[in-house]
Amino acid sequence: MQTFLQYTILGLALGGAYFIAASGLVVTYTTSGIFNFAQGAIAMLAVFTYWQFRWGWGWPAPLALLMVLGILAPLLGAVLYQVVMKNLRGTSEVTKIIVSIGVMLGLQALATWVWNPTSSTPRQFQKFFGPNAFAHFGSLRVPWHIIISFIIAIAIAVGIRFLFVRTRSGVAMRAVVDDPELLQLNGGRPERLAMISWAGGSFLAALAGILIQPMIGSAMSAGALTLLVIDAFAAAMFGRLRSLPRTFMGALIIALTTTYVVAYFPSKWTWSSSFRNSLPMIFLFIILLVLPQDRLRGATVLRLRERFRMPSIRTAWIAGLTMMIVVFCLKVIMAKTGVNTLTLALTFAIIALSLVLLTGFAGEINLAALSFGAIAVMVVYHFGISGTGTEARTTLWGILLAAVVTALVGALIALPALRLRGLYLALATMAFGVFISRMVLTERTEREIFGLKFTLFPTGQLSIPRPKIGPIDFNGGDAFLLLCAGLFVVIGIGMVYLRHSGYGRRLTAMKDSPAASATLGMSVVRLKLSIFMMSAAIAGIGGVMMAAQVGTVNSDRFDIFLSLALAMITVVGGIGYVSGALFAGIFLIAFIEALNLMLKKFAVDYSSLEAIFMFFISAVTVLPATIGITMGKNPSGAVSDIVEGMNKVKQSKPLMITVIGLEAAIWALTATEVITNWHFVILTFANLILVPIVGGKFLMARAMRGVPKPVPPELIGIDRPFTDEDLAAMDQALNLDGVVIPSSTTLREEPANASA
Amino acid sequence: MSEVHYHEDHGAVDGAPLVELVDVRAAYGTIEVLHGVNLSVPQGSVVALLGPNGAGKSTILKVISGLLPPTSGEVRLAGRMVNGASADQLARIGLCTIPEGRGVFPNLSVRENLWMATMAGVPLAQVEETAYARFPRLGERRKQLAGTLSGGEQQMLSMARALSVNPSVLLLDELSMGLAPLVVANLYEIVAQVSQEGVSILVSEQFARTVLGIAQYAAIVLHGNITRVGTPAELEDELSAAYLGS
Repeated sequence: MQTFLQYTILGLALGGAYFIAASGLVVTYTTSGIFNFAQGAIAMLAVFTYWQFRWGWGWPAPLALLMVLGILAPLLGAVLYQVVMKNLRGTSEVTKIIVSIGVMLGLQALATWVWNPTSSTPRQFQKFFGPNAFAHFGSLRVPWHIIISFIIAIAIAVGIRFLFVRTRSGVAMRAVVDDPELLQLNGGRPERLAMISWAGGSFLAALAGILIQPMIGSAMSAGALTLLVIDAFAAAMFGRLRSLPRTFMGALIIALTTTYVVAYFPSKWTWSSSFRNSLPMIFLFIILLVLPQDRLRGATVLRLRERFRMPSIRTAWIAGLTMMIVVFCLKVIMAKTGVNTLTLALTFAIIALSLVLLTGFAGEINLAALSFGAIAVMVVYHFGISGTGTEARTTLWGILLAAVVTALVGALIALPALRLRGLYLALATMAFGVFISRMVLTERTEREIFGLKFTLFPTGQLSIPRPKIGPIDFNGGDAFLLLCAGLFVVIGIGMVYLRHSGYGRRLTAMKDSPAASATLGMSVVRLKLSIFMMSAAIAGIGGVMMAAQVGTVNSDRFDIFLSLALAMITVVGGIGYVSGALFAGIFLIAFIEALNLMLKKFAVDYSSLEAIFMFFISAVTVLPATIGITMGKNPSGAVSDIVEGMNKVKQSKPLMITVIGLEAAIWALTATEVITNWHFVILTFANLILVPIVGGKFLMARAMRGVPKPVPPELIGIDRPFTDEDLAAMDQALNLDGVVIPSSTTLREEPANASA
Repeated sequence: MSEVHYHEDHGAVDGAPLVELVDVRAAYGTIEVLHGVNLSVPQGSVVALLGPNGAGKSTILKVISGLLPPTSGEVRLAGRMVNGASADQLARIGLCTIPEGRGVFPNLSVRENLWMATMAGVPLAQVEETAYARFPRLGERRKQLAGTLSGGEQQMLSMARALSVNPSVLLLDELSMGLAPLVVANLYEIVAQVSQEGVSILVSEQFARTVLGIAQYAAIVLHGNITRVGTPAELEDELSAAYLGS
């Protein structure tokens, strides 16, 4: 009984803290329509800041609380809204999700940078009134901190409910979601309301973080804290991002269940702690499964700011061939570490292809691409390796089997996707990803199911050798690089063909309007299921290649944050294009790595400036997130900008010859070791980016003038107005010359005209 | 012309038009849709904007209400230029706009919808009183979500706002859209009454007949231009031309 009471009270307090975090999500979602993935990161940042004030600098608790909760957290929320979230109006759900993930990764990198958590002295965070302040109820000792947490949670619940129902500003906050324009016509200020709500949401996140941290009692870590508040997502979903009472109930159920697992599961069950950790995610997944079906909405066609042009098959072949040649040339001049980095980048690019297929072509979201990779790697490890020691090779059958298994798992994850879209789906995949890293990748013990003995992740390390396909052995670094490049090109070209096929067009139709697709008689279910399976299989193959490149992988390689970063950078690159995936792989792995190496080299070479270069090295960790955050400004992605720039080059022969000639010269100089690889990188960068820009200004100005870019017929009226010629051409095509079309009004008023 | 509720700073001049557009151009992105519109709404009168689909009627109303800033030209309210003003500022000084397709918040209750109308300055009790007196059906459903009301009831709710906030100028966009003829006739009766109280009204319509019964002036909008302004009697012939394009 004593245990039961003790754990119930702990569960109630934890539930209260979950609720506070979840209510922050509800508030911001209600007013801005953006689900704030960064909620956990804000909480984490607040915990670290509070620690700094309270224990780092020894401020008294009330002052530190006032500073963090009263000033900094609301300020952060308001600034986030003003600088980042405000720009997201009129963008697709994918962009909204990606930008808030960018904020999350950015804050996390920032915290790691400022409060390096791997430092030798772990930071301790104490309960309010110290670790020994207890309230006594009979024989029961309850820490004051726990009591306070629960009381605050109830106060917040009542307060928010009061705000949303009983105050005009609160009702106006709900009105903003329905129709910001109409609220403006009523005399309200939607922007200001949204900003206030973000300040409030950020305050609630910070409060939740400060309450939760001492309850779990472990040393502070940026990643763990960020994920901890993600557990609150499940509670928010329980209330379907609207109902606060149900959110409260959800938070309590989740917290109580997890504490009871800790209390009552026999300690000999080795998996109970990982089960406890992944329980909120299991809840989240189940809640998403039982959510009522998303209505097919077709009445409003949203005019989004993202636009992806259809890649042509010819361009795909040319780009594929060019890429193979470029990789081959690079291989000649690169050092072994360079080859390794490039190969790794390409394997990530293959994984990113799965996202292009799923999100760019079909509009579905997967935030856990690497988790599919992890599953494929486990399959290969157990069933797909022949030979031992240095003779061990991954077999073709192993890779194919891994692809099949991941496709099946993909179908399973698609279950919520069959009924839900956008945000809910993103959360379901994220729940899956966290579940895989917390539950599956932590499996070290041998299990027995139906007499079959196996260990999922023995010793926490899996060795995956490079493949041997038929007679060809890809064990060498160069050979494997070419294999990965070839694989990327083949899958990429295949995807372009797919995009042109009837199937691909059906995908686009489904993405644009599921309702219209369904009424045309398409099976949306079959489409979604198949695209999910295909995408999962590609992610699986990419994962196996990645593991084979690394050699020995541990669970960190499939971390959910890495998946999130990959998804984010792919969207930045241009989720609608195969080249967007290439951009993602190169940027996330090779570019960051090269930048790091370069800065480290400079730090050694110019030791007097070491501090400055070390600063830049830290700044590089924040870089990807910063780029992700800027998505709101340019939602079609970076590749579309680069392509626009390249189009200029293509249209001007002299410029094209200059660029290619210069590049060949730079390569030749490097190959003959006249200049170093570093010079090669810098010169290439300058040549490819700067020459078109600078040259374009002078050379192109003449050529471009008076030659308007041809606009594809479907974009006339959007990119440029209809001209009289367009109208005449249309009339001719429709055989309407000289025919007067009656308007709908006159049709009704004077039916005789209908025959005209 | 009993009383004109208008901010004194803007000095409503007797006899001067309350709303005036001077050579207004407006564009969505790079596509210009209004090519120099001139229009004036005299105090206390009803002006109807007529024209086929896509002529630019709604855009004219959007420009006046402050939702779409004009690319050039002047928008004047009571003789003052208001080009840079935002929609909410204009709403608070007495411009009431009922947008196309039911101006209600579907996820707020009827009462909460009326509460939002109080931002223009009239207290809630008074707004509710006016609204429920005119539309008893809204009173019965004050706790129901606006999204669950019928189309006619939703239009009543948005009209209730226009009635209760004592505007100086009322902009109505496609009032009749998707409603039964009987409901439309009812709504226009109310518009006529509001106009009797001295409110200047600009209403866009595709159904010319109904609105011409209560309008003092009508303007024909075609291809982003106002092609003709006159009294309803003067315009009879040109109206059919505008619609039939002959």
